[in-house]
Amino acid sequence: MKKDGKRRLGLVLLVGSYLLAVYWVFTRSAPVVSSRPVTIRIAHWQIEKGPPDGVDAIIKRYEELNPRVKVEQVLVPGRVYNQWMRTNLVGGTGADLIQYGVWLDGLSDIPARYFEPITDEMLKPNPYNKGTALEHVPWVQTFTDGLLNQRVNAPDPGQFYAATLTEVAVRLFCNRELLRTITGSDRTPQTYAELRVVFQQVADYAARTGKPVFTLAGARDNASWLMQFLMQGAMMKSSQRNDRHGTLSLYAYDELGLYLEGRWSYRSPEAKAGLTLMREVSTSMKPGFLQSMRDAATQEFLRGDAVFIFAGTWDGTSIRSAATFPLDVLRFPQLTKADPVMGPYFFGKFADGGGGTTMEFYLNKQSAHPKEAVDFMRFMSSVQGNQLFTDHSGWLPSVREVKVPADIAAYLTPLDCYSFGGEYMMGMGSTTAAAVFRNLYLLTDPRGSVDQFVDAMEAEMPAAVRTDLRKEVTNRAIIVRPQDVRIMALAALSRRGQADGSLTLARERQESSQTQSEALMLQMSRQLDLAGPVK
Amino acid sequence: MYPARNIFLLLLVGPLLAARAAAPVDLERAAEALVNSRPQDVLRQLRRDSGSRSERLIWAAGRMGAQPATDGNLREAETVLTELAQGQDQIAAQAAYLRARIYQLHLNEPDFARAAELYEALAQRQPQSHWAQLGLVKLGMLKLYMLPDSTDLKADRLAPAEAVLSRISEPLLRRDLDLQIGQAGIVLHQPQARFLPHLIAADRVSGITGTAREDLIVQIGVLSERAGDWVRAREYFERYLAEYPTNVRAFTIREKLAAANRRLAKGGGA
Repeated sequence: MKKDGKRRLGLVLLVGSYLLAVYWVFTRSAPVVSSRPVTIRIAHWQIEKGPPDGVDAIIKRYEELNPRVKVEQVLVPGRVYNQWMRTNLVGGTGADLIQYGVWLDGLSDIPARYFEPITDEMLKPNPYNKGTALEHVPWVQTFTDGLLNQRVNAPDPGQFYAATLTEVAVRLFCNRELLRTITGSDRTPQTYAELRVVFQQVADYAARTGKPVFTLAGARDNASWLMQFLMQGAMMKSSQRNDRHGTLSLYAYDELGLYLEGRWSYRSPEAKAGLTLMREVSTSMKPGFLQSMRDAATQEFLRGDAVFIFAGTWDGTSIRSAATFPLDVLRFPQLTKADPVMGPYFFGKFADGGGGTTMEFYLNKQSAHPKEAVDFMRFMSSVQGNQLFTDHSGWLPSVREVKVPADIAAYLTPLDCYSFGGEYMMGMGSTTAAAVFRNLYLLTDPRGSVDQFVDAMEAEMPAAVRTDLRKEVTNRAIIVRPQDVRIMALAALSRRGQADGSLTLARERQESSQTQSEALMLQMSRQLDLAGPVK
Repeated sequence: MYPARNIFLLLLVGPLLAARAAAPVDLERAAEALVNSRPQDVLRQLRRDSGSRSERLIWAAGRMGAQPATDGNLREAETVLTELAQGQDQIAAQAAYLRARIYQLHLNEPDFARAAELYEALAQRQPQSHWAQLGLVKLGMLKLYMLPDSTDLKADRLAPAEAVLSRISEPLLRRDLDLQIGQAGIVLHQPQARFLPHLIAADRVSGITGTAREDLIVQIGVLSERAGDWVRAREYFERYLAEYPTNVRAFTIREKLAAANRRLAKGGGA
């Protein structure tokens, strides 16, 4: 009897476990075989508050429209992004769509080696814009900036490589309460001269109260953006003087070549004036700020230890959602002709955004599903997809016709300022940028000076510029060489009867863009030859 | 030792090997593999020394595109291309063009002078072939930047390339060399009157893609403004604003357009 009871109990447990397992399988677990035969992955480093939600919203709608395709969002922290991207691309395990930025250190060869141009697709309308005002507009022209930044940075000047998701600008975020406490007024500074007054008022307040308060929240990233902005503005006359092409825009390779020709240097009076301003703003940040990244500056601002933070609109959602005080968003106060430092070199108001779009996604050459990946790119940058991104991320859109929510309208940059390109600090190339970062402490340290920074930079620049210019040549060669083979193959396909015109058009475009890239290579090689080795 | 088994294996594998040897090569698929950056597929499918001239051309292109891109592998491709270039057909022209490209661009140490000789020889032999014409574009650029006749700083630096340009009859290729002569004129500090007409000529032919087109429109406007040709400056500034109204340069160009209009209202102009 006792034995029977045990048997019965065992049987009940067995049946119970089986039923539980069946229930679990049918209600909780993922199917063994996915109902979606195609999976594509989209990888990026925008793990701030906002963008992941925006991309999730796009994915959700896209998967509703495309039951065959599953889209996975891969979030990679910025600190490890460079290594992650390089390792995965080399190993053939990279995501199908990958965010890339030309400023990423040591990755300038990546687009040429691993990304596929999408020129043909860009020149046709985006099918997901059907029924909108952009229905018949070529995809490239549906972006608010016509993909200007992306085209400027494309490894091959005749090709389109990426679609963007957002427009960015730099803004001064202000803790209104703290400003009122210190200055006695809500009024934000309208000119750089007025900002100088606030610098002094905050320093006096900190000394009087013993509170560790600074005018600007400080970190290497935020300081770099601000310094670059000031330097570009300071160098506008120089940029215009050196604009021999008449394009009103200096590219990175132009700056490098012009440096080799002795057309600009950090010793020029304009550059020194810009550096003086950079030193001035750095003294209104907490000491040692170069050692911390932008998260630290955001924390400093949110704690109420800084009146302003100079940040990209990409940090806006995080700042606005975490701030416990009233916040104002304003454009950085511009210099005027009366400025004692910049006055003699003042050209005009300098663009603090310019409407350029970014968060650029590139198609991985090794993607197993390039058609689906491009299709997803089309959706995310359609009116519908980009509206979803904007509404869920709190970031500006990159696509025309998308409605901008009122709470982020201050991020929009009207076209009311000059811009002649020219980075002069971090954007010329990875070697020159490394030299800038290595020596920046000489400019920002209380015991440092403009002259110390200039001397250190001018000692390094001749070699660094040559290295970066050589890299420009090498990276273009990586693009241009395989084009010979592709051009030949396109001609062979045309000869064999696939003569629908598209192959001929593709060959002609490839020949033309190859010629452009090659000409730049020859021009840069000649500049390097004429400059010779570093003396 | 086991003859029956060997015969059986031969019977089994033999037809498969024979079928592979006799299988017609799918040239279209091979060319598509090259378009899709998969030259290794072509090298697996084709043989260096057998097949039609088309097949061997595609093999050589595959060899040029495959990794590792050693000088040894490129010389191997060159051997096949040299042989193919002996004919008078399109394959010969294409092979001769690719051979020149090896010297200009693919070898570890480029040999610009040799590339120029090969472009010139192709243009002499088959002047109307597309590949000879494309080779002339490349030759023109070498004359601008790299060949010995580009080292005399006092000479008219554009004339050698202009002589090459006069031999190009295909409009799109003329456009591309016109554009490059125009740009080189700026870099080589030539008088504006010498290079601006080339930029204008390039603009008249459509189809320039990417930033180059946008830059060209700004450039012609600004250079015309510098030369005091306010009519042309206005034309190009207006075109730019119509085509690229949201570009960051639009603010500056609006100001320039207003200045050009003021000048023209006062009776200025070229």
